[in-house]
Amino acid sequence: MAMRKSRRGPRGAAERVEGLLVMLPWLISRKRVKLSDMAKQFKLSEKELMNDLMMAAMCGVPPYTPDALIDVFVDEGEVVAEVPLMFSRPLQLNSAELFALQAMGSAALAMPGADKKGPLASALKKLQPLLPKGDAVVEVDVRAVEYLAEAQHAVATGQFVAIDYFSPITGTHSSRTIFPRAVFEQMGHWYVRADDDQSGEIRNFRIDRIKQFTPTGKTTAPIIEGIEAEVDFFGTDLETATLLVRPAALRLVETYPYISREPQSDGSVRIELAVGSQQWLGRLLLRGGDAIDVLEPVKWVDLGKHTAQAVLKRYS
Amino acid sequence: MINLLALLVQRTKPLTLKQIRQELVGQYPESDTAARAAFERDKGDLRALGIPIELITLGGDQAGEGAYRVDRKSFELDDLGLTDEERSALQFAMATVRVGASHGDEALWKLGGERALNAQSTSLNIQLDDELMSTLADGVVEHRTLKFLYKGEMRNVDPYGLLARAGFWYLVGFDQLRADRRTFRVDRIEGEILVGDRGSFSRPKDFDLQKAVPTEAELLAEGHGDDAVATVLVDASLAGGVRTQFGKQSVIKEHLDGSVEFAIPCANLTAFRVWLFAMVDKATVIGPPRVRKQVVTWLTEQAGGR
Repeated sequence: MAMRKSRRGPRGAAERVEGLLVMLPWLISRKRVKLSDMAKQFKLSEKELMNDLMMAAMCGVPPYTPDALIDVFVDEGEVVAEVPLMFSRPLQLNSAELFALQAMGSAALAMPGADKKGPLASALKKLQPLLPKGDAVVEVDVRAVEYLAEAQHAVATGQFVAIDYFSPITGTHSSRTIFPRAVFEQMGHWYVRADDDQSGEIRNFRIDRIKQFTPTGKTTAPIIEGIEAEVDFFGTDLETATLLVRPAALRLVETYPYISREPQSDGSVRIELAVGSQQWLGRLLLRGGDAIDVLEPVKWVDLGKHTAQAVLKRYS
Repeated sequence: MINLLALLVQRTKPLTLKQIRQELVGQYPESDTAARAAFERDKGDLRALGIPIELITLGGDQAGEGAYRVDRKSFELDDLGLTDEERSALQFAMATVRVGASHGDEALWKLGGERALNAQSTSLNIQLDDELMSTLADGVVEHRTLKFLYKGEMRNVDPYGLLARAGFWYLVGFDQLRADRRTFRVDRIEGEILVGDRGSFSRPKDFDLQKAVPTEAELLAEGHGDDAVATVLVDASLAGGVRTQFGKQSVIKEHLDGSVEFAIPCANLTAFRVWLFAMVDKATVIGPPRVRKQVVTWLTEQAGGR
């Protein structure tokens, strides 16, 4: 078995060549591209791009007559390329690229409101022959929730919206007016990121906890705030708890991000978690039952017991 | 390396290393040993990029000598006939669905598209890093057996597919250690993954990736409990979520205060407990009596302390 090479670290010669073999066909299909735009597109600094282009300009086929060189140069801030025929076609898609296209394409197609017979569907169909015959090797399960489409529309049109929001931490409802900036899915839940009139802050609201979603009629220019990566809901100033989790509850506890995880010799695992609220931890302990013990802090050692006592009252 | 590629692509006849060195003057060291080593390195790097270099054994005057050639059809992407509209749709999909890895961008460039640089109003995050995606994709696309440590045991797995669900990636495949089909949460794979040879296995024709990983609702029904369905009264504040999860057909009765009675699968009592207690004191099991009694027993045991 062969070990896969890491894709991290400084760019080596092979990586630069690989980049050129992707960039050159892309460039020749456009003929002229602004240097700054091309650098941004390929996530390079302008200096890195210039160095790569200079490397390309020094390449060609013997006897190195002008027509056998890669004619690439920068003219008034634009990259211009006349490339030999051999580099005018892109490289074939590798497994990871095919996989990414299938994963991202099928997920986008499964999102609410997606046109199932539109250009994305037909593009994916054209890619299908590149995959092993009959294989659906990757799928993304996208679950819609009520008000998702309305939230997307509110972001796109700059609407202020009145919502009734349920907080499971406090067990209370609140009425707020929000100005949505983005809609995103993370850890299986949909959120709307919005200016919140009640706190005066930008907050993330779980859409399945919104009970009413009513446009106020007030609109302004949309402010679209893309979510570039996973949102850190925990921050740095949250309390932590150390749990001893036996195998029966591992599947449950490991659903949540953890700070540290230390397997024990008896099959249990010592896990340190960030705790959003006491109510949240109480709920986790109730769900895990006798398969979870709180080791630290001491104040939460009996939290599962107290939570169970509170729920038991409903059955009296 | 580009010069070597250009040369082998342009020449119609295979070239020996000696001829390559004569053509690419100054590109390889003077010493035969060093030149061979440098050439092998370039060859390996090109192969790693998906550019196969064919070795031909010559005949005639050069009988037995090895010569090299590259068939451009073996590494160039055929024109898939994508329209501008389809490229834009792929671009939008790549920008909306964020996997963290850069393979999507690279694929888009090869298809002649551009990655979106402006902020998107909607995004879906299913993070998977570059290296991991590359390794797992090689496994599932090229049918290579994967070897990795999982829950303290070394597994040899024939990977059938990958499913992203509720924020996690799941690898489904045939676990040779257990001699059965198994599902592995990708973020729980320990250490590095070793990749076997291409075409190491065949995927069963009846394999269904979506069905291979049960949803929470399906998990609740997979068990041997005495009762298959429980009636659960859910407060108005959480009833909407339960209705979305189990569908309208699960609703038994809607109360005036907004609370709703649902019919929920409970054959798997352990999974049922996890699901029920996620609502803490906002849900109560009404029946059947055996299930209600079990819930009360759980609560009593936990309330009594351990």
